[in-house]
Amino acid sequence: MARLEPDVRTVKEIQAAGGDTVKKCYQCATCASVCPLATEEVPFPRKQMLLGQWGFKEKLLSDPALWLCHQCGDCTVYCPRGARPGDVLGALRNMAVRELTEFKFLWTFYNKPWGLPIVFLIALVFVTLSMSFFMGGIPGIFHWDLIPSLHVEEVHILFLKLTSNVLAIDAVFIPLAGFVVVMVAIGVNRMWNGMVENAGIPAAYRMGFWSLVTTYLGPAIREVLAHSRFKECGANQWRFNGHRMLLWSFIILFFVTATVFIAADVFGFHTPWPLYNPVKILANIGAILLLYGVISIIANRSRAAAEGKLSSSYQDWFLIYLILAVGVTGLLTEILRLLHNGFYPGMYALHLMTVFMLFLSIPYSKFAHLVYRTTAYVFDLYSRDVRAQMKALAPVAAEAAAEAPGETEAEEGEASEASGEESSE
Amino acid sequence: MAYDKILVVGGGISGITAAVEAAEMEYDVYLVEKEPSLGGRVAQLRYYFPKLCPPTCGLEMNYRRIKTNPRITVYTMATVKNISGGPGNYRVTVEIAPRYVNENCTACGECEKVCQGERDNAFDFGRSKTKAIYLPHPMAFPMRYVLDKSALADGDLDRIMQACKYNAIDPNMQPQTVELEVGAIIWATGWKPYDARKLDNLGYGRFENVITNMEMERLASPNGPTGGKILRPSDQTEPRTVAFVQCAGSRDENHLPYCSYICCLASLKQSLYLAEQNQDTEIYIFYIDIRTPGRYEKFLRRAQEEARINFIKGKVAKIEEDPGSKDLIVTAEDTLSGKKVEQRVNMVVLATGMQPSLAGMELPAGVRVDENGFVEITEGMYACGCARMPLDVMTSNETATAAALKAIQTIVRG
Repeated sequence: MARLEPDVRTVKEIQAAGGDTVKKCYQCATCASVCPLATEEVPFPRKQMLLGQWGFKEKLLSDPALWLCHQCGDCTVYCPRGARPGDVLGALRNMAVRELTEFKFLWTFYNKPWGLPIVFLIALVFVTLSMSFFMGGIPGIFHWDLIPSLHVEEVHILFLKLTSNVLAIDAVFIPLAGFVVVMVAIGVNRMWNGMVENAGIPAAYRMGFWSLVTTYLGPAIREVLAHSRFKECGANQWRFNGHRMLLWSFIILFFVTATVFIAADVFGFHTPWPLYNPVKILANIGAILLLYGVISIIANRSRAAAEGKLSSSYQDWFLIYLILAVGVTGLLTEILRLLHNGFYPGMYALHLMTVFMLFLSIPYSKFAHLVYRTTAYVFDLYSRDVRAQMKALAPVAAEAAAEAPGETEAEEGEASEASGEESSE
Repeated sequence: MAYDKILVVGGGISGITAAVEAAEMEYDVYLVEKEPSLGGRVAQLRYYFPKLCPPTCGLEMNYRRIKTNPRITVYTMATVKNISGGPGNYRVTVEIAPRYVNENCTACGECEKVCQGERDNAFDFGRSKTKAIYLPHPMAFPMRYVLDKSALADGDLDRIMQACKYNAIDPNMQPQTVELEVGAIIWATGWKPYDARKLDNLGYGRFENVITNMEMERLASPNGPTGGKILRPSDQTEPRTVAFVQCAGSRDENHLPYCSYICCLASLKQSLYLAEQNQDTEIYIFYIDIRTPGRYEKFLRRAQEEARINFIKGKVAKIEEDPGSKDLIVTAEDTLSGKKVEQRVNMVVLATGMQPSLAGMELPAGVRVDENGFVEITEGMYACGCARMPLDVMTSNETATAAALKAIQTIVRG
């Protein structure tokens, strides 16, 4: 008989990460039956609570259920032991984000309150250095002669005509985007391999990256956009709208940013664009949606906390307030610019810093749920198909096994690589 | 100055036992019961543990012990209003509600025949009606009718008074107060079924065929609303598939944080009722842990042999009704297979737990209860049976005998 040893260190880690109630669970499985998202085949979070009590890190952190949970708090409300499974899964998600990525010190900065000034400092240094180098400082705030300044009206790199303020932004954000994409790719790849192995999907059913993306990513993204699973969480109705608004605002702002990037950097239509420009109108709609979404999330989360449905960790509030800061500084920048106010460049720099913090947080903060949850959706759809196929083939397989008793073990196929859908920044 | 009498509050099996045990040690006992009859919860059962005796078995023997012992004074429809003094010399005010039927009553039943007004029968948990004048239950003690004036129909009073040949009906009876002087008090106030309506995810009160385990006892009881046939409420048919939901309210910090001790056994016992009625009844017991304390483990084996029980380890947290058939769909995670199961059944029995009767009640000074309502024992104030902790009948009686002894010790010490 296999002997199981609890991993006490991991248990303590879970407890410290916000899952301090994990040990109270007595495995009655109330949670899994009240959960509207738990499926018949792979219900949660009862099993995850048990794994948490034993500290089985590998199994836990490569469990798609972590990300299929939308933390509506039904399990926490009905839990007869006050074990708060919803909060424990939240803590496990934070731990998973750390395990999946590289440069873990950045995770630490993003997930500990004392790291906040450091994260801000990183953003400050990158943005001011870049602005100093290309613009000689932040106009109206300071001028820094110490750094050699490349103060030009227009530079021509290959066929691109770039102004100094465009260069200042590109110099920071293009490498940043590249870094984030690589980190996220590493994370998604690790997550996928872990899930495939953990679920024991036979080699014969493993799929290549492209066929996975073409078969399942579309449906998964459709679910994300419609928030269909989020909505299924009956208790989540109050959060559903705010969260969906926020997601749509990110999509709009991503589209707007991409359009401006191409128009300005490639074709030389430099900003600011007039307010009646359709792209500008869309951008402003995106900004308002973002503020509406994030403010309603704050209000609803506070209400849910008061009702005892969920407790919010530092990680939760960090992301929410960072998004709020992005929205508020962005809107203020626009208003100050329209008013020809002298604080405009300073506010703009501040806005860029918050955006920097938000971008860099994608692999390290709660923001990672954007990619990991989507990956879990893809896996969920894929593994459902695999189970259905295996079930359909079960009688055939049994027959074959009966005919050839000395069958060799199926060769372990190469785990399908999935560097996954990238962040939408 | 010390008093040498004992007050027992509560006339269920524990209170009766405590009273007769003390009286047979030649101490005077007042036995106070708030209902119109002694008998308590045991009287409502089909069979009780450990030997699956019908309630008549234990109650009749004890009633005889009361009747033949002049040291016991029984007050029914009586509640303790006030307590003063301390161990050895309590003064207790007891209020007796008017029964409107005096000692002349022979329980001939003529009044009931002519009475038209009806009332919900709390003894059957509202699943039957009685007339406005009624006998509390067939094993009533005292064997005497009660009149519920609020349920009388027009002209009922004249009719029943005319029908009574013994001049037993006294509509002008007034509430009475008696002052008792006792040396010790035994709380045998027992338990009430936990309000299943508070378990909002289990559908009790919304779905007709979700019943509680105590209602199941009444259905199975020959003097119950169905004459002992277990029929599901929606269409009065025999259920072919029945799910038992264990820990309905018990072991749950949102409801009763403790284990109610007997519900697992009650469900096993009720599985035998179903098997007795129809050997092929398919039974599903959803449990967290099957708790069969001590020698009751044997009973689990017996139930497994005699009834078709499927055990599913996983608490039910969701019940839905099929509106057409009124069947129920019970959802749980089978933690042994790790799969979620949805079981369709004709009827669901919630194994609701025991809540001490004193929970949430306004209590006379000097009585201490813990946060769940169980009586805490102090010098002079003892508790037995389910007023103290959730227990079976056998253990309740043991604690009752012990409480009688402790009460006598207080008196002897003076």
